[in-house]
Amino acid sequence: MMRKHAKSLVSVLAMAVLLVCLCASSLGAPQSTVVVDQWEIPFLNCLTGPIASIGAYMSWSAHKAADEINQKGGVKGKPIKIVDLDTGLSPEKAVEQMAKIVNKSLVALGPVPEACIMAAMPLAVKNGLFSMAASTTYEYAVQFFPYTVAWHTGSDKTLPPIVAAWAEKQSGVKQVVQFVEKSGCWPVMADAHTVGLSSVGVKTINVEVPTDAVTFGPLVVRALAQKPDGFVLTCMSEKAAKIIMELEKYGWKDKAKILIFSSADDVSLYTTGGEKLNGCHIYGYLDAEMETERWKAFKEAYKKDHGGMDPVSLSTIYYDCVYMIKDALQNTDVTGDPKKLKEERAAIREHIRNIQDFEGVQMSWSMKDGVPSDKGVFLFVIENGKKNYVTYVDAWK
Amino acid sequence: MSSVLYYFLAFTGINILMCWSIYLPYRVGQLHYLTVACMLASAYFSGFAAREWSWPFALILAAGILIGVLISLLPSFAIGDAPCFTVVIVGLTIIFIFKTAVENSAALGGTIGFFGIPEVQHLLPLTYLLLAAAGAFIYRIDHSRLGRAASVVFVDKNTAAALGVDVKQLGMFFQIAAGGIAGLAGTLYAFLIGSLFPEFFNLGVIGTLMCMLFTGGHSTMWGVVVSVPILEGMQLLLPSAIASWRQVIYALTLIVIILLLPGGLITKRTLVRFKGRSRA
Repeated sequence: MMRKHAKSLVSVLAMAVLLVCLCASSLGAPQSTVVVDQWEIPFLNCLTGPIASIGAYMSWSAHKAADEINQKGGVKGKPIKIVDLDTGLSPEKAVEQMAKIVNKSLVALGPVPEACIMAAMPLAVKNGLFSMAASTTYEYAVQFFPYTVAWHTGSDKTLPPIVAAWAEKQSGVKQVVQFVEKSGCWPVMADAHTVGLSSVGVKTINVEVPTDAVTFGPLVVRALAQKPDGFVLTCMSEKAAKIIMELEKYGWKDKAKILIFSSADDVSLYTTGGEKLNGCHIYGYLDAEMETERWKAFKEAYKKDHGGMDPVSLSTIYYDCVYMIKDALQNTDVTGDPKKLKEERAAIREHIRNIQDFEGVQMSWSMKDGVPSDKGVFLFVIENGKKNYVTYVDAWK
Repeated sequence: MSSVLYYFLAFTGINILMCWSIYLPYRVGQLHYLTVACMLASAYFSGFAAREWSWPFALILAAGILIGVLISLLPSFAIGDAPCFTVVIVGLTIIFIFKTAVENSAALGGTIGFFGIPEVQHLLPLTYLLLAAAGAFIYRIDHSRLGRAASVVFVDKNTAAALGVDVKQLGMFFQIAAGGIAGLAGTLYAFLIGSLFPEFFNLGVIGTLMCMLFTGGHSTMWGVVVSVPILEGMQLLLPSAIASWRQVIYALTLIVIILLLPGGLITKRTLVRFKGRSRA
């Protein structure tokens, strides 16, 4: 009898321990069951048209992140699938592509670029879809909060310190000519450069670069007539390279006193400018020479698939975005159930907008209400097509 | 209604209006790209009036049409009877001037763009109602003395003048009417998209409209009613990988149509045959 009771007691205890273990294991992890076979993440991107090359490497980086995640078992046992939706440069196409996903997707990447963001994001906002238009500037992103994120703080906070740091490193710079092309948010960025320069006592004179300019001699002559001590280039990459070549032709020798802005950090800057860029400064958001294992792996993979070229400024953005989405899927109760679409979208959105200590491929940062709270800018000097690190400057708080 | 269908129908309606705004002056042999500038101006005005002044939609719509009319009216005094090439150059120049003005205007968002245009209820039925009204207006013109005079001007201006047609006044009328229709399209476009960007109104828009007009048929107003839904729908129905080749598909379609059916899919002869069969 006693033996029988003892057996029952052991059984009950074993069951209780098992139950406690099960409860404990489920406390830290989401409790719901995933109902999708894969996590589909649509990416509205410009895969055709004049800036298709940019779209191609953004797409590459999103797929690269998804492949890495899937090789490690996916998220909650399900793979991530990036679905490319081409918008070209057409606002109409962007709206139509957004219309295809706006009622069914949990989260989206893009749109890219600004013309498509302007056209398609209002539809995402209207339908409550969180779409990570991370490649644009704060000035665009903030218009669609909370349904997108900013990848940097406002230009007025991010850019002045880095331009000021550059000016302080140059001796005797009192007056600078800034070449400005009026496209998208570049005039806003140019204004931020002016603020930065003025903070260290440097006067800025703006010279407009027409969007359809093909020759730059007259512009350079006009700029040199102002007797500047340095130049800031806030224009398209190819134009920046051509202006530098013209400056050299007209006798400008001190390349260190030329600063190129981040949006010109594109393949055509280096292919057009070649060795004429040696000594010029450029600021950007990633340091290609960083020595972390993760970055080296990313860089090698990128070079392998891009004819040996180093990753360019925007190439890591959607890689990090996919990892952010993975983090959100992993750490929320998201199941992919269409009946819970609204709540699950909100859960992902709020998780990403306030993600803490996120480990990006280059740096770690935190977000507060969709804006990074601790992200700065790198300053480099160009030597033979390579960007050599000079300094890293935090954004103004 | 699904969002995809909604936007397909809305863009189809707006593009038909814009194609008609190119079609009308082409009745007298003029490619009047100025209508894209009218669309731009009325779109920005509508957005601004709605967001900043909270004007009612009906008033904005009337003002948008009026803006299109006024913008077309002024140059028409000079180019009412100008050769096609001159009209093209004037149109492109004015588009460029307007774009530059917008890019330099902080109130209109400059190069960053104009955000936050409020939503309008029942925009799609309104679009089609207005499309039907514009269609009826063009139909009346086409079947009036003006339409017949335009057909003669298209073939030979001197013959038309000898027949007593005032070529300049006729050209002016068609340009102004086209401006009004483009103004209407601009207003609808602004409310449909909800934000505006100077790059929305570039040469690509002209290319697309020309493809739609010449594929459908430039000799009747019905051509674009057929070609616009086909070309618009193509990118929605085709798989994404193929739809990415949209520009190439458009260009090839246009080349094939011009080679095989120089008048487009629907010509006046097609309509006559269709009417004949209906009667039989």
